[in-house]
Amino acid sequence: MADRRGMPILPVEAYTSRAWFDREQERIFSRTWACAGLAEDVAEPGQYVSVQAGLNNIFIVMGRDRRLRAFHNICRHRGTQLLRAVGKTQRAIVCPYHDWTYDLEGRLVSVPDRERQFPGVDLDCVSLKKASVDLWRGMLWVHPDENAGSIMDWFGEVEPHLGPHEVDELAEYPKGRTEHTIEANWKIVVENYIDGYHLAHLHSGTLGMYDHSRIESGFVGPHFAFWEPLAPDYAKDVEKNSPYPLVIPAEQAGAWVPMLFPGIGLAETESTWSLFHVNPISPDRTRVVIRTRVAAVPYRAFARQAARSRRFWARRVSGKFEGHGDDPMASGDFMAEDIYACEQQQRSLRSPYFEHGPSSEGEAGVREHQELVRRWVEG
Amino acid sequence: MDGGFHRLRVAATRAETERATSLVFEVPEGLREAFRWKAGQHVTLRFHLGGEEVRRPYSISAKPEGGRLRVTVKRHESGLVSNHVNDRVAAGDVVEVMPPFGGFYLDPDPRARRTYYFFGAGSGITPVFAMIGSVLGSEPHSVARLAYGNVDAGSVIFREDLTRMEEGSDGRLLVRHVLSSPSRASSPAPWRRGRVDARCVADFINEHPPYAQDTRYYVCGPGGMNAAVRRALLDIDVPDTRIRMESYGPVEPPDDSLAGVAAEATVRLGGATLTVPVAAGQTVLAATRAADETPPFSCESGVCGACRAMLRRGRVHLRARMALTDADISRGAILTCQALPITPRLTVEYD
Ligand SMILES: Cc1cc2nc3c(=O)[nH]c(=O)nc-3n(C[C@H](O)[C@H](O)[C@H](O)COP(=O)(O)OP(=O)(O)OC[C@H]3O[C@@H](n4cnc5c(N)ncnc54)[C@H](O)[C@@H]3O)c2cc1C
Ligand code: FES
Ligand code: FES
Ligand SMILES: [Fe+2]
Repeated sequence: MADRRGMPILPVEAYTSRAWFDREQERIFSRTWACAGLAEDVAEPGQYVSVQAGLNNIFIVMGRDRRLRAFHNICRHRGTQLLRAVGKTQRAIVCPYHDWTYDLEGRLVSVPDRERQFPGVDLDCVSLKKASVDLWRGMLWVHPDENAGSIMDWFGEVEPHLGPHEVDELAEYPKGRTEHTIEANWKIVVENYIDGYHLAHLHSGTLGMYDHSRIESGFVGPHFAFWEPLAPDYAKDVEKNSPYPLVIPAEQAGAWVPMLFPGIGLAETESTWSLFHVNPISPDRTRVVIRTRVAAVPYRAFARQAARSRRFWARRVSGKFEGHGDDPMASGDFMAEDIYACEQQQRSLRSPYFEHGPSSEGEAGVREHQELVRRWVEG
Repeated sequence: MDGGFHRLRVAATRAETERATSLVFEVPEGLREAFRWKAGQHVTLRFHLGGEEVRRPYSISAKPEGGRLRVTVKRHESGLVSNHVNDRVAAGDVVEVMPPFGGFYLDPDPRARRTYYFFGAGSGITPVFAMIGSVLGSEPHSVARLAYGNVDAGSVIFREDLTRMEEGSDGRLLVRHVLSSPSRASSPAPWRRGRVDARCVADFINEHPPYAQDTRYYVCGPGGMNAAVRRALLDIDVPDTRIRMESYGPVEPPDDSLAGVAAEATVRLGGATLTVPVAAGQTVLAATRAADETPPFSCESGVCGACRAMLRRGRVHLRARMALTDADISRGAILTCQALPITPRLTVEYD
């Protein structure tokens, strides 16, 4: 084929091999800020969550001063994992193996039978290894390196390209929390997210409320920024026709859909704010966790807004194809459409006849993301 | 210049409350460098009142970035210098000022992202006001929170400035007033009655938990308040390394358990080595001044650290030691204004 704009930048193995996967875990996911959930997941002293950041398991716990601390979740004795997924502790962390006990500053404060078992061994300076932790845009963030520096060194440049949302003032909508296991490499999921070309096509029936002809997007450092305005007929009466109460002023209505590196997508729209967290599980399997926030207003306001906007949406959303409800292409659900497209691509990578075709203007972000991954993995 | 002091003209004065006045100084071009300060540092003022030389430290109440050198002095009941400043000093007067100094400061870092908690009372707002200005102006990713204790709304120094800064801060500054005896029509209504004490500290942090997780705690008020706030912070597991304090008065009464003996001190000061006789009960500073020398000093109460020196030989008893950390003391630092010899020979070296 003549001009493929240098595609593919990454070889097929980047999407299928264990060696590539392991290298990405080590070189990308162990060296960047990892999203550990929403701020409200750790909201009380003693509460903790643990999170995998590449090769590192890290837990975040809140102290009585309401400050978050983050430590590598490995006992300084023989490395046993200290805390499981989520929970609440008192003022100490006890290893299940030999009951070594640490305080919330990570200091080893008690060792059973210490005099007899460790005669002459200095255990006074033993501490859990620290990680960095911060809150940003209503999300919890950890970095495996205690001296990672300010999180603004990482996100400061892209922040002005994100939505005008006061994320902390929105409230999580519990039913908006979904998890999807996708049979595709994490980069296919990310590339689909930043591919502006497919929006008007794969999602012709589902994302027509935005004007895909006026997209503004591009990389800002390692992060992909994306904005598009509402479609004119929706914009005309967005206060009435928005499916949920607005979360930003009507004059600013639009969608900011950045993909922060690596694999942390946001969808910040006029009526919702969502996290689209891409977690690599294996070379051909990815888990996406979606968390959604909406306006922090009483239930009545949602009911009223749904009633006002029902007529508008009934005419607006449909499946791409006619068919049964369980066919993703007939579902009228853009997430189902995306998952379908990702899994189909992954499958085709196995075909000896697979060959990359030319890449469009609207896929510039895809090319740049591949380039970015290549640099991190080689670097 | 004389003994470290420079004669600066008062450019303007402003009454901040019925009992507090600000002095803005004119710093001539040639002294700009010497009078560069960090938010939170203080200058020492010297006056000759009733035939006596008196010195007092006053924090600079303006941010260094573009601010003018300014101090704000609150009257003390029958206080010598504070009343003199409030009653007598006017624009155009010349005052002797020693350049900025002090370890209680905040160096803004434009890349940092921090939550600052400030606890202040009364005139303790002065360095904090400069620090808040620096954070708002020069640390765009950081936020500041102030719990400020006073008797009543009328005695709140910088009340209007703080309100204006809070309103214009886009949520980056939060100010909460704690009044011990608010009048009924108090405006603005206080966040709570009482003092900046342990309960207040815990409630303030619980109501306004840190957002940026790199937290710093700055405390400035009377000695008793400082001690209480620090204890309250340690009590909820704030690491000591994150707390900075400055006290305007001693926390505890001086430790007079040891009397001090007559001694001969070898004093190294400004490149010279002198032999100074110290009488029993006399401080090293007093003895050095009695020998017509000009050692540095300011508060003479062990609070500011201006008189600090290193003890190279012998031993002394420190009547107060607020301005020194345990680490300073283990390295041999002493406060000469509080040091009584307990060995007959000493060697003391000023920085
Ligand atoms: C680092 C530092 C920074 C400071 N910054 C400021 C500031 O920014 N603004 C500010 O206003 N102050 C500040 N101070 C306090 C200031 O230095 C003075 O201590 C204060 O102004 C009182 O001085 P004075 O001469 O008026 O009172 P003094 O005459 O020294 O009296 C001090 C107190 O002792 C009492 N007293 C005096 N004589 C007697 C007596 N015979 N019997 C019983 N009690 C007596 C007085 O009533 C008064 O309460 C700071 C202090 C330090 C250490
Ligand atoms: S491994 Fe944790 S106590 Fe032994
Ligand atoms: S002069 Fe202030 S501590 Fe000695
Ligand atoms: Fe899509």
